[in-house]
Amino acid sequence: MQPAANDDRLKQTGDWLDERTGWRGNWTAVFLRKIPKVSWAYTLGSATLFTLVLQFVTGILLTLYYVPEPQQAYASVTYITNELSFGWLIRGIHHWGASAMVLLAILHMVRVIIYGAYKYPREVTWLTGVGLLLLTFAFGFTGYLLPWDQRAYWATVVGTQIGSVPPVVGGFTKDLMLGGPEISGLTLSRFFGAHVWVLPSLLVALVAIHLFLVVRNGITSPPKRDE
Amino acid sequence: MGADEGPPSTSGVPSGVGADGPDAVDPGRRKFLIATIGAVGGTITAAVGVPAIAFVTGSARTATGEEGWIRLGSVGSIEPGAAPTLVKATIERRTGYLVEEQEVSIFVTTENGQDFVLLSNVCTHLGCRVRWVEAEAGFHCPCHNAMFGRNGEVLAGPPPRPLDRYEYKVEDAQLFFKEA
Ligand code: HEM
Ligand code: FES
Repeated sequence: MQPAANDDRLKQTGDWLDERTGWRGNWTAVFLRKIPKVSWAYTLGSATLFTLVLQFVTGILLTLYYVPEPQQAYASVTYITNELSFGWLIRGIHHWGASAMVLLAILHMVRVIIYGAYKYPREVTWLTGVGLLLLTFAFGFTGYLLPWDQRAYWATVVGTQIGSVPPVVGGFTKDLMLGGPEISGLTLSRFFGAHVWVLPSLLVALVAIHLFLVVRNGITSPPKRDE
Repeated sequence: MGADEGPPSTSGVPSGVGADGPDAVDPGRRKFLIATIGAVGGTITAAVGVPAIAFVTGSARTATGEEGWIRLGSVGSIEPGAAPTLVKATIERRTGYLVEEQEVSIFVTTENGQDFVLLSNVCTHLGCRVRWVEAEAGFHCPCHNAMFGRNGEVLAGPPPRPLDRYEYKVEDAQLFFKEA
């Protein structure tokens, strides 16, 4: 049952690479690490990560056609949805995936709370998690404006008004978000820039730290009766 | 899970070591899980990947120019036997949601005022625009020094085929052409 030659060649290539990169040690540490007996609830973080990957793939695809410019934004989105092959699917995944990701991140957080997994030594994992949740919200907020339709416009009016609530700095916070005293093409530009460059960079960095900590500290055992 | 799930251990096993000890691996189960991950992962990748290819190529596959006959100009302005006349027409091109006016330039010649030759001014080598050079009685392409004859045939240089011709018709002394 051994296609021996092939297996050998694969192993040799693996050895060759391992000697120079040490990949086996890392592979074992990340994917073959021991975990305690866990439940399906422990998959919620991975589920969030999976939707995140989907958001990246579909989001990158959307930028091939989407134009963040007041004259064209709505037209390009309409074209993607109604005419382009599978545009409805790619946009649909990105649209619903955004909601799914928020939901999954929150469920994942609830799981962490219920299992007490935020306690020593995982406080920093929790803190990076809080950052991730806020970033996820920011993705939703900036992405919502991009279709440039009535709903997008008014949601952003309302959302940025909220920014103007704090005393003293409120007015400027709102102007900063809008790139001026009211919604304009500059608002669209900066929301797009935030949505596709600023937030993804921050998110990738934070996810890396989050996962590093998860691997480093190991996953929590479900709490026992006498603990 | 299932079968080997014992009573809760109270031995304070550090997280990172399975309750069964470090080496309790069931190879059959591991194989099955790897195969399942591969199958599910492959299905999802294909489910997104194939539509993604259709998506990326979409606007390139469906760009459309103008259908039917397009008016080029009156027949009278083309003198029999004279040097090729460059006539311009504007056509509408739809790429995705963008509708753009595009200018096409066509060299028109006639020997008898009845039969016409409509030549594209786009070099068949790599797409530069050709120019009529009276002194050499041919079309010259400046990019790689090609020459085409009066009827578009290749006289010199790298072009692989003669200049493209447009289909045409004459109606009410007006010349019409069809987009290739
Ligand atoms: C973009 C969003 C997030 C992603 C992709 C993500 C991903 C992950 C993954 C894959 C794990 C492995 C264990 C598991 O799945 O339960 C994990 C663990 C953990 N996450 Fe997240 N997470 C996110 C958001 C959050 C949030 C919002 C919090 C809480 C505020 C949080 C706190 C934690 C903690 C404390 C652990 C360690 C759990 C343990 O050791 O049992 N994460 N995360
Ligand atoms: S493009 Fe005309 S000769 Fe090369």
